[in-house]
Amino acid sequence: MNPSSNLFSRLSSALLETGLVAAQTALGAAQRTVEQISGQTRGPAEPIPVDGPTDMDNAVSDFANRVARICRYTPLDVSQISAASGEIIEAARRSFSFVDIKDAHYLGFPAQLAISVGSLVTQSALRGLAAWEVMGSSRMPLLARDFVEMFTEFPVFIGLEYREAIEKARQRVRAVPGDHKTRLELGQMLVKCGLYPDAERELLQVPDNSFFYPTAIYEASIALYRAGRYESSARAGVEALNADPSNERARMNLWLTAQKLGGYPKFVPPTHRMEVVAGYDKPRVQFEDIAHKIGLDKTAANRGTAIFDYDNDGYLDIAIATAHGGISLYHNNGDGTFTDVSVGSGLDGCVEAFAITVGDYNNDGLADIFVTRFGFYAGHGHLYRNNGDGTFTDVTAEAGLSVWGPAFAASFVDYDNDGFLDLYIPNNLGSLFERKVPNRLFHNNGNGTFTEVTEQTGIQTIWPSIGGAWADYNNDGHQGLFVSNGLGRSQLYRNNGDGTFTDVSKEAGVDDLLFGSPVFWWDYDNDGWLDIAQCSWSDHEDVIYTYRHNEGPPDGSPMRVYHNNRNGTFTQVQHDIGLTGCYGTMSANFGDFNNDGLLDLALGNGSPKMDRMEPMIILENQDGVFHNTTFSAGLPLTGKSHGVNLADLFGDGRLSVIVAAGGAYPGDLLTTNVFYPTTLAGNYLNVRLDGVVSNRSAIGARVALESEGRSQFRQVSGGSNFGCLPLEQHFGLAGATTVQSLEIRWPSGLVQRFENLPVNTTIRFTEGEPGWKDVYVKHSAAVASHH
Amino acid sequence: MVNEQEKQKFGEMLNDFTLQQVRTGTKLSLSQTLAGKKGAVVVFWSGVCSHCVRYDPFLNGFEKRHPELSLLAVASRHGETLDSIESAVVERKIHFPMVYDPGGKVAAEWCTQQTPRAFLMDANRTLLYRGAIDNFKYPEDPEFVGYLEPAIDQFLKGEPITRTETASYGCAIQSVYYILPRAL
Repeated sequence: MNPSSNLFSRLSSALLETGLVAAQTALGAAQRTVEQISGQTRGPAEPIPVDGPTDMDNAVSDFANRVARICRYTPLDVSQISAASGEIIEAARRSFSFVDIKDAHYLGFPAQLAISVGSLVTQSALRGLAAWEVMGSSRMPLLARDFVEMFTEFPVFIGLEYREAIEKARQRVRAVPGDHKTRLELGQMLVKCGLYPDAERELLQVPDNSFFYPTAIYEASIALYRAGRYESSARAGVEALNADPSNERARMNLWLTAQKLGGYPKFVPPTHRMEVVAGYDKPRVQFEDIAHKIGLDKTAANRGTAIFDYDNDGYLDIAIATAHGGISLYHNNGDGTFTDVSVGSGLDGCVEAFAITVGDYNNDGLADIFVTRFGFYAGHGHLYRNNGDGTFTDVTAEAGLSVWGPAFAASFVDYDNDGFLDLYIPNNLGSLFERKVPNRLFHNNGNGTFTEVTEQTGIQTIWPSIGGAWADYNNDGHQGLFVSNGLGRSQLYRNNGDGTFTDVSKEAGVDDLLFGSPVFWWDYDNDGWLDIAQCSWSDHEDVIYTYRHNEGPPDGSPMRVYHNNRNGTFTQVQHDIGLTGCYGTMSANFGDFNNDGLLDLALGNGSPKMDRMEPMIILENQDGVFHNTTFSAGLPLTGKSHGVNLADLFGDGRLSVIVAAGGAYPGDLLTTNVFYPTTLAGNYLNVRLDGVVSNRSAIGARVALESEGRSQFRQVSGGSNFGCLPLEQHFGLAGATTVQSLEIRWPSGLVQRFENLPVNTTIRFTEGEPGWKDVYVKHSAAVASHH
Repeated sequence: MVNEQEKQKFGEMLNDFTLQQVRTGTKLSLSQTLAGKKGAVVVFWSGVCSHCVRYDPFLNGFEKRHPELSLLAVASRHGETLDSIESAVVERKIHFPMVYDPGGKVAAEWCTQQTPRAFLMDANRTLLYRGAIDNFKYPEDPEFVGYLEPAIDQFLKGEPITRTETASYGCAIQSVYYILPRAL
């Protein structure tokens, strides 16, 4: 980004933020005043509105979203207007059902309605401006079209009301066979439902002289690809490019199809082919997909993953969240296989889970989980207490965590170092027209309950948040917070150590306005200071550009890596370390999978759209520069990916890349992959920590390792995105055969130093105790050679 | 809830149930359908679930493929009425046996959150396979993997079943709505 555009975006972000804050707080205060004058009361906490909105602001948002959906599903035809107006009246009745017009408390209704509409319109307009600012005018029309499509549809598909929408479209094309627009939409809905033969039949009926033909034949190519009929898909893809040579998405999908066919078929003309250069750098480690061999090949609309040892047998187990289905819990048998133990675990009933976060909130030595649900649609999260017998109990209500919102990835953090894990829940926007639901921080009272402390801590934000990552970035012993906002300004909060936080984004130099996605702290350059990796979500065209050029377009938005300058400020360095590609990153994690002592990256990419089958990628850190080695390292084209995770599943030092793939639409089903390194690329040491005075999970603890002249630095994280990394810290040691020292800085303030440690093993440290213990008692070479 | 779920284990007897049949309205129990058969397949089902639509031909052809087994679909989705299920059955020319499970009570007892989810049992209702019908690919897809049919083949041949459990996926039996009781 050049300095002038940077200045402009900072100026704009400040203005936009002021406007958004005014729309939210000033108009909110006006609303409260009218409520007070008219004698309406609000409860201490907002109840979960299971039966519809219970206050004016939510009712207005709800009504606006309903009207948007009605317009979306109503054909543009005079004959449809009366039906649509009937639906709008019905929508108003449902949205405002909480208002009793005979009740004197609602005398202020007209004023409340006006204020509420005003604040919603202002917020929506300002968010539109922010999108314009971030994406640029050339990208905006496609982005707006895709986002309106997705946000108006999610509730319909989540609620299984697509049958009505499909029936409505079917009746329409039966009555008006020449309505090709509706036929195209019908075909698209059928693709989203996974009904590919039906979709193909409808889409191929759109005649080639119709205005809608180029899109219809393109969508047909997607339906055929999804059905596994690759040659037919390639033929439709060729037709789509004949009809619209500018359709780069069709060109990209034709390339993907060609990969399935072992190369472009002869009938694909050279003009329709593309040369992909990204993903073919020389790898230092090769991978093999072993998911089907070890019983982890779960096909579903997979989302978050968490890797943790729920039964304390030493081996790392896996939980995978799924849209429409329950959470799957897989037990690691320690012999190189996993068993599905979901049924009876209590987690299988948690449908529509989004991201899973692991932490022992009650310090009983058993890892508990917090699960967010629905994501782009408001739901409430669940805290599951681990009972230690393979079952989990939902303790959300008794813990005081029954709050709702469009939450993404939550984090466990002990922000006040009292030895108990607190909980941070960031919220995104749940629909097209919505006010920002606050990001919430809950303080752990130490007795199994939590108290919300959002307001007094000062971590409120007006931007829609995707995730927050916590770290002691200034080595002062307190956990600061970096918040990645989707279409918003990034924010860094310094922990003042007294229960309050200060937004220091601007002085720290990390307040870019961007389409932020997952974020984490890592010490990519091993200097002992944690740096920030903030991914960015780029639209399809920028990704295609990246595939063709191995770097993003000049005005694109690659992921940001902020180098910690050790003085509270940060410098953007992604361009200096080879991270210039633009991807639609939805999930990201790090780990040293080539065991060379430098952290590598794995990015899960895509969007909810059915045609966005963007592969996950790996970026290998080779001597300080990242190389995209995805395809040359043997990762197949797995489509969109959510819960990217990295873990040593077999205690053999090889870090597998685990990818839960799939999307939000019912038809967007993909199979989980486990990419396992085919060789042990270097020596390793795995370290686990048990807190005693500090929180039991030791989240926030920092570990510094010295081996043969090289330092490495890690922090135990409490989760920040769709993949919740194991608490175990994996160190790649390259050729080093000794570890001179390991220093642990516990959250309690205790510092312990150990010398002359073994290599190629997994060891556990307990806070305050001398020495360490082996994790895998019976660890044998047989396990490592199992695969 | 956890205790209830713990009851369902491989090699143990599945709960019997008696529910009203779709179309005829008569009561039908799982044990009745097993009479004279080597085993049965129970599939939890919904009239609105798009994945169930995909398996219409598979389920319609089941009896012909496996005359020694009975098939019973259990329509369990919350909010579906006998009328709405019957209209879907007529419209889609479904002729496999189906019972109505109002409010998804049997589904909950059977640890089922989504449709379709299949259970294979022997004549004594011993649980043999639980999960998805296949990996949700179409049979012409090179990546297609069947789960239920191979389990049935192994069971009928008297062989141990290689894969007894897969994660099922589909449409939630109970959609939980916040803010919007109905989207449209």
